[in-house]
Amino acid sequence: MKRNKYSIVLLLLITISSYSQNNIFSVLNIPENLRKNANSIVQKDESLVTMDSQTSYTLKSQQIVTVLNKLGDDNALIALYYDKSRQIKNVVVYIYDAFGNEIKKIKRKDFKDVSAYDGFSLYNDGRYLYYKYIPLSYPYTIHSIIEIKSENTAGIPSWRAIDGYNQSVQLSKFTFRYPLDVKLNKKEYNFNGFDVKSNAINGEISYEVKNIPAIKKEPYAPSFRKIIPYVRLSVNKFNLEGVKGIANNWKEFGKWYYDNLIQGTQALPVATKEKIKNLTSGTNDTIEKAKIIYNYVQNKVRYISVQVGIGGYKPMLSSDVDRLGYGDCKALTNYTSALLNVVGIKAYPTLIYAGEEEKRSIDAQVASPQGNHMILNLPINNKNIWLECTSQKVPFGEIASFTDDRDALVLTPNGGEVKHTRVYTAEDNMQQTNGNMIIDDKGNLKAQLTIKSTGTQYDYHLGKYDGETPKELDVSLKKYFSNINNIHLSKAEVANKKKEAIYKEDIAFEASDYASFTDSQMLIKINAFNRRSTVPKRIRNRKLPFEITNGYKDVDSINVQLPKALKVNYIPEKVELKNKFGEYVMELKKIDETHYLYVRKLKILGGLFPKEMYDSYRKFIKQIRKYDNTKIILTK
Amino acid sequence: MQKIIFTLILFILSQLVISQNYKVGKISKSELTEKVYPLDSSANAAFLYSKRNTYFKYVQNEGFKVITEIQERIKIYNHEGYKWATKEISYYNPSMNAERVTISNAKTYSLKDGKIESYKLKKNDIFDVKENKYWSTKKFTMPNITDGCVVEWTYRITSPYTSIDAVQLQYEIPVKKISCKIEIPEYYVYSIKETGYLPINIQKLQKNKTIVIKDKTRSGGKVVKTYYSTNNINYISNTTVIENTNVPALLKEPYVNNIDNYKSAIHYELATTKWPNKPLKNYTKSWEDVAKTISKNSEFGGELKKTSYFKEDLDKLRAKFPNKNELMLAIFEFVKHKVKWNNTYGKYSYNGVRTAYKKGEGSVADINLILVAIFREAGIHANPIILSTRSHGIPIFPTLKGFNYVIAGVEVENNVLLFDATEENSIPNILPIRDLNWKGRIIRDNGSSTWVNLITQPAKLNTTVQVKINENGEVEGLERAQYMNYEAYYFRNTYGKVKDEDIISKMEEENSNIEISDFKIINKNNLYKPATIMYKFDSDELLDVVDDKIYFKPLLFMAETKNPFKLETRDYPIDFGMPNNNKKVVSITIPKGYAVESIPESFAIGLPNNLGVYKFSVTATGNKISVISLFKINTPIIPTAYYPQIKEFYKQMIAKNLEQIVLKKV
Repeated sequence: MKRNKYSIVLLLLITISSYSQNNIFSVLNIPENLRKNANSIVQKDESLVTMDSQTSYTLKSQQIVTVLNKLGDDNALIALYYDKSRQIKNVVVYIYDAFGNEIKKIKRKDFKDVSAYDGFSLYNDGRYLYYKYIPLSYPYTIHSIIEIKSENTAGIPSWRAIDGYNQSVQLSKFTFRYPLDVKLNKKEYNFNGFDVKSNAINGEISYEVKNIPAIKKEPYAPSFRKIIPYVRLSVNKFNLEGVKGIANNWKEFGKWYYDNLIQGTQALPVATKEKIKNLTSGTNDTIEKAKIIYNYVQNKVRYISVQVGIGGYKPMLSSDVDRLGYGDCKALTNYTSALLNVVGIKAYPTLIYAGEEEKRSIDAQVASPQGNHMILNLPINNKNIWLECTSQKVPFGEIASFTDDRDALVLTPNGGEVKHTRVYTAEDNMQQTNGNMIIDDKGNLKAQLTIKSTGTQYDYHLGKYDGETPKELDVSLKKYFSNINNIHLSKAEVANKKKEAIYKEDIAFEASDYASFTDSQMLIKINAFNRRSTVPKRIRNRKLPFEITNGYKDVDSINVQLPKALKVNYIPEKVELKNKFGEYVMELKKIDETHYLYVRKLKILGGLFPKEMYDSYRKFIKQIRKYDNTKIILTK
Repeated sequence: MQKIIFTLILFILSQLVISQNYKVGKISKSELTEKVYPLDSSANAAFLYSKRNTYFKYVQNEGFKVITEIQERIKIYNHEGYKWATKEISYYNPSMNAERVTISNAKTYSLKDGKIESYKLKKNDIFDVKENKYWSTKKFTMPNITDGCVVEWTYRITSPYTSIDAVQLQYEIPVKKISCKIEIPEYYVYSIKETGYLPINIQKLQKNKTIVIKDKTRSGGKVVKTYYSTNNINYISNTTVIENTNVPALLKEPYVNNIDNYKSAIHYELATTKWPNKPLKNYTKSWEDVAKTISKNSEFGGELKKTSYFKEDLDKLRAKFPNKNELMLAIFEFVKHKVKWNNTYGKYSYNGVRTAYKKGEGSVADINLILVAIFREAGIHANPIILSTRSHGIPIFPTLKGFNYVIAGVEVENNVLLFDATEENSIPNILPIRDLNWKGRIIRDNGSSTWVNLITQPAKLNTTVQVKINENGEVEGLERAQYMNYEAYYFRNTYGKVKDEDIISKMEEENSNIEISDFKIINKNNLYKPATIMYKFDSDELLDVVDDKIYFKPLLFMAETKNPFKLETRDYPIDFGMPNNNKKVVSITIPKGYAVESIPESFAIGLPNNLGVYKFSVTATGNKISVISLFKINTPIIPTAYYPQIKEFYKQMIAKNLEQIVLKKV
């Protein structure tokens, strides 16, 4: 077995059959600049959407995608959603090798037909036809021809130039044809810097773009939606799961939504109304009443999602939620709204895009069924209160990290209104750590701490610890203090302080061998509990701007007691950093020979920054890490 | 006197248990008022009662059906337990011979102003989801769930198949009372085995039963008459009764390969059928028998006999590689690239080897049986090895179900070379991690079979680093890391398809206080050699300069600083996957004008029974310091009893890794 086996592999990989430059499916036609950073290349993506009437549109599309390597396989996955109002009329797929020779033809019967399990619904009537090709070698090309017919003209397909990172596009073309008595609304995004050709005539609009090189994913990059060209379209006469509508703007759309999908769903049993009136009779304050009702809902219901037909848009009856004690976001929001209305508090269901990673707003100009979530808006005393109705845990009015800081559509009997949800500042997202640390002459650590958090940090701590069994909590807390080994917890109490909107942890532990030693000295990392350990990846030649989605602030104040038997040899000096990204302060204040107060303040500001600033952000975080690793030195 | 009180308490306790009513719908007030599970206050929900009856029912013209009736009564203590109010029942639902599921008596019970109220689950709130061609699920969630409520339901599964699902006796939540009855007619004999650490109380009884068969005959005379006759068949039903109370919850722990291995359950597998007036039919008995049954299956042994489909390709390979060893590897690589894995497991061929070969995709069995067949045709003495993957768990007893996977083995002298052609980066004896479970059984073409070890080589990583330190606290260095065996396999799975520049950022992220340049990989995708990376690095974060002294950890950024074993105690064995061998050598040049003030003492610690060892040494000569760290784990799975030692082993290793070298200005 002396000979190099590499040659065998190579020989096996290169299985050349015929060769033809003219073949349109050959990878030889792909320009070199589109291969750079690309895992797959869209040679052609052509779609024609024809709206035949208010209650029908047809999507005809063909896609030719060349996959260059394993990481691009997902781009060759064909998954077609269908349900009662959306049918797959035709689907054929051809697979070609690198030279454009047909390897396979895949028909509808070769597809797998599965339930569209979305990961959280108990039931969902949608299904998927899907096909995943298992490649023998790379590159290969997949050519799909698809025809879909749908009744839901409320959500006509829109154009997006690229699907994701590491994919280049040779040609992407989209055409929408619509009847002349229909008015089209459109909003174009991120066309700047891309050569998008668009053409609009009566009853037809089209977009075309050629030769977009692949974009490489970079850490802290803003969402793809903020980078690539896409268009959102809607028509003013539409149909949604059998409910027809006419709307030229959000006001009209909101009105239609309210009249057809909200109104008439809020009736409640008399007994429930009485109960709500009794519960709130002790106060005249509107907010107090709302808090009582919110608390009532949190104790009564739980989140269960069932999506069937129009039920994907229309909340189930409030009387059913009352009877069953469960519902999805629409059902629970609408139910809370109905209960609030009982005592005369106006509360409006609100369509919104929920998500932590991206604060996605609904398109201000294009009225159509948007959003993936529903929350409740309470306009009280010229202020807006937002309620998340699917959680039994979050405090009244808290929406941090899920639906904060974005445009949403408030649905009222008078029509729709676009409002911006609550913005959390760095100070709103606070974590305060207070406590004591005692180091003995063996280097063992004894700690007692209280950690309080609010805003996004509340959310983080809640998600991490709440509802854990003592054993799970033991593991979670040890993970949180991962810089400290050999922890033995003597106290681990966590509390969701709903009233104050604070998450609180009371912790006490001992840890042996915390300090490290040389033969005559003891070194103690002074920041034991809240150390920054990771620095954003270094990116050589960054291409994309970067975004820090949420700002936050940490304030630590720890009383330090050092062993009497040793002499203090070195105490670090005060550090203060301040720049566009935030502030950092670290200080050890001497109280007496063996007592110090360690204070650390870190404030990170959220925001979108140009790519040129990335290196200075990295440097800032590196400095913080360095100072967080500061040691004090004692001599025996 | 004390004895009397004790018996009295026992008597009262047993009375309490007896007085509990387990009939469907008979929920007691005390069940509803209970605030926490008495024996484990951390339980979010508990089974108050879990009952299962499985029996065979004779259906005329169809034969025996297996009926399983379940009753579940669950107490929900708090919000975290609400998920137990949702039930999913998966059943086999092909177009022919489908199983049937009927759900009844589903109600939520809660206490309202001291009175028991119940809320019925409506029929149209039960959903039936067709997951795929073969499997469906019935799903429902109970109405009006509140803290402290009790939910209860019953369901029945009618199956035309003789397989009996394992009787589960332990759950993620505690169980107050469990009772199961499995009745099996004498015609069927099942192998039965228990798993888990809990004592299980099993009673066996025999009952006499009767099948009534009605026959219809018509007389052929002038007046046609229909006669009915009944025919009684008596048989013995073997009944197993299992009763248990206060079953603790099964808790998850890290570093456990498959928690199901430790769950209390009783498993059934059909061994023989004994029909009257027919010879005994044997299904399985010993592992030897299991291997024989599998080898006789046409989708196993039969597929191995087919050779015509690959002949042409084999001839080409033969011509190119006259040397037998080279030919063996060439065939292995050829099969890897010729037929790709479609993520389907199994020991039997799925669509047939010929089809898989032609289509270029297939199941585990398709691929590895093709490999065995080609090996044999090429004159290489190869045999299939059946095994049970990690997710499939350790087989309980000799059954066909015990194996779910097949690989290829070539016996050479006293050794077996193991091949799995489903993974690109797998080489002989370096199998995909999913294969590394328990042991495999090689089935020879003469019908004999024997056990083989699946883990034969330790994961091995050798790192050497040369660094120069300057007086400003900056470090410059050169690293060379050699990944061998499983380390190479992991390395290629992670980085094989990744561009160098992305590997650099990933490595910088992992060792985030260094910056990398001049990066090089040798044998990135040459599977038959160790993968080696080499790079230069620099950092200003590895040293602490305080006054006229410089402090640093001897292993710098390669120091182990975190103990992965955080739990105080542990219930399950610790699974390392495979033996490990990790060596680090660091040579440090100190700046001019500095001298070594102190270095950590050398150190060694071993685990009992040669399970593992750690050695660490630092030596200083002139302006050079040399550090050697050697970590070895010799056994893939370490028994629970050694947990305190393992934890201590890591603790001491880390304490040593954290000790500092001090340089002083001279």
